[in-house]
Amino acid sequence: MGGVDDNEPPLKRVRVPTVESGSLLKNSPFSEPVISLGGPMARPLASEGKEDIIGSKGVIKKVEFVRIITKALYSLGYERSGAALEDESGIYLHSSVVNLFRKQVLDGYWDESLVTLRKIDHLDENILKSASFLILEQKFFELLGKNRIIDAVKMLRSEITPLGIKRERVHELSGCIVSSSKLALLGFANVGTETANSRMKLLEELQKLFPPTVMIPERRLEHLVEQALNVQRDACYFHNSLDSTLSLYTDHQCGKEQIPSQTTQVLFGHHDEVWFLQFSNNGKYLASSSSDGSVIIWEVHEDGRISLKHKLTGHDKPVIMVAWRPDDCQLLSCGMEEVVRRWDVISGECLHVYEKSGLGLISCAWFPDGKQLLCGVTDQNISLWDLDGKELESWKGLRATRTSDIAVTKDGKWIISMCRETAISLLDREAKREHLIEEEQTITTFSLSKHDKFLLVNLLNQEIHLWSIVGEPMLIAKYKGHKRSRLVIRSCFGGYEQAFVASGSEDSQVYIWHRAGGDLIRALPGHAGAVNCVSWNPSNHHMLASASDDHTIRVWGLNRVNLKRKDAGYHCNGVVHQCNGNRK
Amino acid sequence: MMDLDPRHYEHVTINDGDIRNIVQSYLVHNCFNETAESFLACTGMKQPVDYLADMDKRKSIFRFALEGNALKAIELTEQLAPNLLEDNKDLHFDLLSLHFVNLICSRKCTEALEFAQTKLTPFGKVHKYVEKLEDFMALLAYEEPEKSPMFHLLSPDHRQNVADCLNRAILAHANLPCYSSMERLIQQATVVRQCLHQELGKDGPPPFSLKGFLKN
Repeated sequence: MGGVDDNEPPLKRVRVPTVESGSLLKNSPFSEPVISLGGPMARPLASEGKEDIIGSKGVIKKVEFVRIITKALYSLGYERSGAALEDESGIYLHSSVVNLFRKQVLDGYWDESLVTLRKIDHLDENILKSASFLILEQKFFELLGKNRIIDAVKMLRSEITPLGIKRERVHELSGCIVSSSKLALLGFANVGTETANSRMKLLEELQKLFPPTVMIPERRLEHLVEQALNVQRDACYFHNSLDSTLSLYTDHQCGKEQIPSQTTQVLFGHHDEVWFLQFSNNGKYLASSSSDGSVIIWEVHEDGRISLKHKLTGHDKPVIMVAWRPDDCQLLSCGMEEVVRRWDVISGECLHVYEKSGLGLISCAWFPDGKQLLCGVTDQNISLWDLDGKELESWKGLRATRTSDIAVTKDGKWIISMCRETAISLLDREAKREHLIEEEQTITTFSLSKHDKFLLVNLLNQEIHLWSIVGEPMLIAKYKGHKRSRLVIRSCFGGYEQAFVASGSEDSQVYIWHRAGGDLIRALPGHAGAVNCVSWNPSNHHMLASASDDHTIRVWGLNRVNLKRKDAGYHCNGVVHQCNGNRK
Repeated sequence: MMDLDPRHYEHVTINDGDIRNIVQSYLVHNCFNETAESFLACTGMKQPVDYLADMDKRKSIFRFALEGNALKAIELTEQLAPNLLEDNKDLHFDLLSLHFVNLICSRKCTEALEFAQTKLTPFGKVHKYVEKLEDFMALLAYEEPEKSPMFHLLSPDHRQNVADCLNRAILAHANLPCYSSMERLIQQATVVRQCLHQELGKDGPPPFSLKGFLKN
């Protein structure tokens, strides 16, 4: 083509204006004016085809690429490198006009900068006016800062107002004349003392006004890189690691090795089947309950090891569930059709026993404020108690069964309970609204996600269903593969942003699915009996615990051997790592 | 313009003395002192002695305010009714800003700025004056304040408003009614008609129109 592209910055070698550069070179930041003049002229015109585009996909324009790198170098403080790059590549970050303009702004030569402003290409009338306004505003504030009020007013009248834009701003500026608090409000209280800073800010504001070809926006390169990392992270199917693991050296891609797959510890402590377990909200403790009537509080240490902290006895019946108070200081435990006990986590003592004479309790849950609790009763009622055991309310809502889960959302608004064999009710007590989740099979248990957006429902027919409960409940996904025929098996959410679903199974394995995709990722053997319940540590995405009929609890973590292999660049579990963006 | 049948009015008798009071109150309120004097003389009504002297002073204060000579108005007000302006901060501010506007209109910007800085900004400590202050200061930003968004502050209407307020304040200070009875009567008729019209809709009498009434 031979012509100069519209996209390219005003300074292309062809266009270095001879007259201007003669006088402007004195102000040029470069120390070797001779090269500046002779250099670009001597280089071939960039419009000569192929040199313009770099990168294998043919979408990156070389001039843009070099300019944002140069900008990044300057932002990082590497002045010399930036200048050297401009020199060596012949691609200038800013045209000489723009450079002059920047210098004049930073040095406070306002009238001169206004003149130079008009010489910059690609600026339409609107931009010129807005930019002039900003510059004159700075001049105004600096005059006020030096107490040259009359001059400031004169300038306001004769230069700023006639621009005819931003009337409200003019109003505000005139308010500043007499009111120092107004000045502070607009952020210009210390213009006198912080001139350099505010002039830099002015330059940044001007940058935002100008088209990017004239002045590259701040932190453009960083923004592009962050964008790329976000895309990688979002595309990572098995993503289960912290942001700190994101690196620029390779495309981020978690393989399955980021998901717990190996038993790291086996916890012995119960004498009979372990029916329930749950990590505390802060991930520092684990509570488990057993058909031997005991509840154990385990402590999770910094290095991941878990040790027994308290064994809580007192129930005469199997303990079917426990519930952590939102602040993790207390624990509720529910005996099967028996009583609910409230324990202090630190001391291990039983603080209160909740019971209803002649009846048994079958589930328990905390209210988010930790001052009230809900219990399911064998007479199909739900009871609301305060901490001292006073029953505040009671309403009919449950079907009686061995266990009938209840839960409360974190905003305290919705009470979730199983109202029928095949339905779960979400009740907004204040607004007296109720939503229903209706299934075709019998529901055994359910579990609420961390941010109350999803409900995991376990069904008699060996399926786990994922429902969204924001607004009208909607079925989103189904998970299959595990076994359940006679027992109550529980499932849970877990991992980075609760991207995974885990469940126990009667075949003694722990099953893990990808929540959004629905596919089964892992089936972990190890237990010698049915796995009744699983819990994923909320603060350690690589730790999962399972409770089994074999009287033990297994703690699962990452396969260290596989991880090491990954670092050395081996294949891992079928996922190939590449550095240049090609996924499997 | 349909109005009530005038025959309805025949049944209502009016005391002549009441009517004279109404006229007198109007004359006094608007400082028509000479007319008031002759009216008194013609009708033989009695009035307190220093009544007219004060009216004279009030008249000149009103006139100065109307012309925009706020400083003179303030001076005389201080003489006639000391502490009145202290007790009426809003009014004080409005009067001072009249002077400010005067200076602006005579293009004496530096003086205006200085005046604002010394006299008006102290008001700015109280929140409700801040906005008003800003509006006035905005006039400084325009070489032709008549063309600015705040042009209404320069208008004779505004001055009239302030002058009226001042007049009423002075009357109140002297324990005299702030509104002439004539004004009140017309206002009352209007409001009553409005209420009737709202309640009865088409079946009731139309809203009060003074023009229409007078034509009848």
